[in-house]
Amino acid sequence: MNGLPVLGPTAQSAPRVAFRELRSVWFQITGTRCNLACRHCFNTSGPRDPWLSPLGVDVIRRHLAEAEALGVREVYLTGGEPLLHPDLFAIVESALRVAATTILTNGTLLGDGVADRLAALAAASSYSLELRVSVDGASAQEHDAARGDGTFAKALAAIRRLERRGLYPIVTATAPLEPTAPGALYDRLREALLAAGVSRPRIKILPMLALGRADAGAPTAPLGPADLDVLDPSRLQCTETRAVADGGIYACPILAGLPGARLARERIVETLGPTTLFHPVCRTCHETGLTCGNA
Amino acid sequence: MSARRIALFGGVYGNRPALEAALADARAKDAEAVYFLGDVGGFGPHPDTAAKLLCDARVTCIQGNYDAAVAVGADDCGCGYSDRRDVRFAHIAYVYTLGHSSSEHRRWLGSLPPLGRITLGDRRLLLCHGSPRQVNEFLWETTTPTGLLERFCDGQGVDALCFTHTGLTWHRALPSGRHAINVGVLGRPANDGLPRVWYTLLTAGPELTVEFVPVVYDHESVARDVERAGLPPEFAETIRTGWWTTCLERMPVKERARGRY
Repeated sequence: MNGLPVLGPTAQSAPRVAFRELRSVWFQITGTRCNLACRHCFNTSGPRDPWLSPLGVDVIRRHLAEAEALGVREVYLTGGEPLLHPDLFAIVESALRVAATTILTNGTLLGDGVADRLAALAAASSYSLELRVSVDGASAQEHDAARGDGTFAKALAAIRRLERRGLYPIVTATAPLEPTAPGALYDRLREALLAAGVSRPRIKILPMLALGRADAGAPTAPLGPADLDVLDPSRLQCTETRAVADGGIYACPILAGLPGARLARERIVETLGPTTLFHPVCRTCHETGLTCGNA
Repeated sequence: MSARRIALFGGVYGNRPALEAALADARAKDAEAVYFLGDVGGFGPHPDTAAKLLCDARVTCIQGNYDAAVAVGADDCGCGYSDRRDVRFAHIAYVYTLGHSSSEHRRWLGSLPPLGRITLGDRRLLLCHGSPRQVNEFLWETTTPTGLLERFCDGQGVDALCFTHTGLTWHRALPSGRHAINVGVLGRPANDGLPRVWYTLLTAGPELTVEFVPVVYDHESVARDVERAGLPPEFAETIRTGWWTTCLERMPVKERARGRY
């Protein structure tokens, strides 16, 4: 990915927001390598020919140290499917030395052995280890249609496994693009989780991003300077986060790897200036507010 | 002359009997001054009489996010919940508090400062509600890195940071010799299965002594007032049992695993 241009002239008319401080750092540790190929995946991850490569442990540790020196509060490990990383446990251990750490997983690879290792790492740290398990829909029919046959049952099993070890996971669901009754997905998902024996459902609803496989081709206008007049910039993730992915440092995990989105190749500290909201998908964050973090 | 022993109170959340008991306890323990780090109302049934008691007792008060919201009649309490269940309960508590806060009380809340700087012995302390940079930032023990706390101390030029907002006490002696202290809250128990609530005593000396003080009070009367006020039974359950039933979204997994819900 080294051929990707640093943010270029196409962004000249886009609005810019000041960076506040680094509160969270995201690592796309497996690039876009995933065991699933979900229908709505915003970065088109999948099992074949990942277009973003995984990050090595040394690169991750170097950026963790840099983020720590910058006062970071939270570390997020994502992909692709982060559980596919061959050095996952070493990465988690390093991250937990710096700050509270969250792993975003589809839950299908989270057997008893993995759960035991994660529980041991969590117990050894004074910081919280959060697991976010993706569940899209309140039934196997809905979820499996988006993620593949049998994945709903595996995700639920992973959630129960984590709960048994005190790692009460956050269940994340992507809201459909089509408008539904407010709260309908939350309520149905909560009922389904309770019915499945999940004792403490923690639920986070994420907006669908018209990007990657969820991009239906409908044109979305990029933000213009006037859009910022009606926005509290603190609601934008790019004012307080950066994402480390194959090829460099990006403004947020959504833009990681996209053409024109790289802010620097080597160092987070070089990216802490104003952020340009150049991409049409920036409109989602503009409309829904800071959403990628746990809370 | 700087005080040698002070009491620090966190969120009262409309729980006047707990505040009364804590004030009496702090006096009995020879606290020379009492400081309150914000959130007079929210959750409990007595926001206005709690405010009056803080004023009558000459407690020095810092503004919390709830106070700022009630002062201007904002749309919500400013805790930033997105979980649908927490949003619903937070809304009920906020509407009740706003409706039971007099205009005089709201003006007073609006006049409170967001930060306080005091000295204890030869130590400089910063008092705030959430964090020095954001009134509604949750500084939980398991999601607040030591490096960040050192940066806060550097940025504010202080030897100790004192804050509340999360509802749970904790203290970390930093590698630099400075301190970060979450003073706890008086408004609801500490999610530990006991109805007592907590405040913090700080005593100057060669070492700063940090003592978390449990306060036993007539919690049953408060639970009954919650019910009489028409507030949710979940609130009364928390007051009676000590387990949090609502507003759990922001709690990290380590803290959450210690509770019942």
